[in-house]
Amino acid sequence: MATISANGPSSTDGAARFLHLADDWRSATGSGVKVAIIDSGIDHQHPDLKGRIADLVEARADNKRIVFDSSLSGDSAGHGTACAGIIAKIAPDASLYSIKVLGPAGLGDGHAFLAGLEYAINEKYQIINLSLGTTKPQFFSPLHDLLDRAYQAGCIVVAAANNLPYPSFPSVFSSSLISVVKSAESDPMKFGFHFGRVIELTAPGVNVRTTWLEKGHRTLTGNSFACPHIVGVIALLLERHPEMTPFQVKSALYAIALENQKADV
Amino acid sequence: MTESGEHDLPARLQRLIETFDIASILTEPLTRSLTKMLEVSAADLNSDEASVLIRDGEEGDLRFLCAIGQVAGQLINLRVPAGKGIAGFVLSSGQPMAVSDVGEETSFYSEVDMATGYSTQIILATPLSRNGEVIGVLEYVNRRGNPPFEPYTPAEMDRAASFAEVVASLVNAYESAKLFRDLGERMLGIGSTEDVSVVRAWLNELRNSAEHKEMMDLAILVRDLASRGDAERAVCKELLESVSRYSNDKSDSGYFPRL
Repeated sequence: MATISANGPSSTDGAARFLHLADDWRSATGSGVKVAIIDSGIDHQHPDLKGRIADLVEARADNKRIVFDSSLSGDSAGHGTACAGIIAKIAPDASLYSIKVLGPAGLGDGHAFLAGLEYAINEKYQIINLSLGTTKPQFFSPLHDLLDRAYQAGCIVVAAANNLPYPSFPSVFSSSLISVVKSAESDPMKFGFHFGRVIELTAPGVNVRTTWLEKGHRTLTGNSFACPHIVGVIALLLERHPEMTPFQVKSALYAIALENQKADV
Repeated sequence: MTESGEHDLPARLQRLIETFDIASILTEPLTRSLTKMLEVSAADLNSDEASVLIRDGEEGDLRFLCAIGQVAGQLINLRVPAGKGIAGFVLSSGQPMAVSDVGEETSFYSEVDMATGYSTQIILATPLSRNGEVIGVLEYVNRRGNPPFEPYTPAEMDRAASFAEVVASLVNAYESAKLFRDLGERMLGIGSTEDVSVVRAWLNELRNSAEHKEMMDLAILVRDLASRGDAERAVCKELLESVSRYSNDKSDSGYFPRL
């Protein structure tokens, strides 16, 4: 049985059992789990992604408002396709929803990204992959409000840290989302959890081989690619335990990371 | 002043106008500093190829401001459309990223390579931020020596982020200088080479006109008289004022049409 101390939990027994989690999630495929990717779009024609993209929308400026239409423009930069490939590798049966906020002209900075997050929350996607961020102070408050709304709606938002010498939003908000920074680990199941740090989770993000534009693949490094690894793992957890709340998912990740740590010792 | 010196003066003035380039005076030292910074930082990352792209316009397009390496000259002022390629993504997302195998397929924003003939194999792209705004992208491409190149490491990404802080300050200073330059050009009404030649033609015409020469002679005469002493200055002033009063009276009475 795990005990929780003032300095964080310590595990004396299977931490996963503390949460009554059976290990069967490891054999799940993410079936029935809805995952939103707020990014540069997804190349849904990519052979590795065919049949896995449930819907694609893209932001459009409409008289100072941002609205979302069906998207046929694919991916403008490759980044969204790269994130989708990482999730699909870990949770091949998860349904991926592309919310394109980067690429189309005239959307302005940050506003489309916020609108995309709001769209995903309204659609009640279970997991939201947010490999983007902003350092603009004016977005602090609206992002905070949106993340609280996501938490209350049961949407699990996973955000990438920006690995720059200054913080970006929303990755520094620790209460209502899961924030991730890259590690050199290559096994997606070997993620880490560092209670007390601003960015709590570490996941593979160095030289990650994944899907790219024009049916290609790339080897990429960045926190952006650590984030979808955790999204994939959560999709597996939610397939087996669809009733889990964002808080419970975070606790489960914590417990699994402790198990990983213990296994490494 | 010697006689030859007086003859030289108009030529020297003309040469000064011809060579007077406010753009260079304001922005060139900053471009030189940026280039130096690229050289020093690229050497630290074992690369010879680096560039600074800055946001150009409201739509998120990028333009190469400064570059070092084999194709530096061809890169300057080349544009990358909004959201395109790795630089486009880094600008719009604010996320740094490294790609280890860009040249393996054609899906990199290859227009840049096509335009320059260069082969990008690996790339490290870091956002340039000022006061929370992403204003551009700092890129390092390939390594010294021959491919295959070692991928950029997370530690090198952190170092590039520190370099980006300095580069962003220089870009910010450059943008301010450019603003002054544009303002100066607008005030002078010289937006293009054609406009400059119009200004030069006007100056030449003015200098060569008989009326202008008479005016200059008069000014020299007044200056000479005024410099001879208080009494001469007082008489000169009184005379000029009386000529001015006489001219006004005549104009008001309709003798002389006012020009």
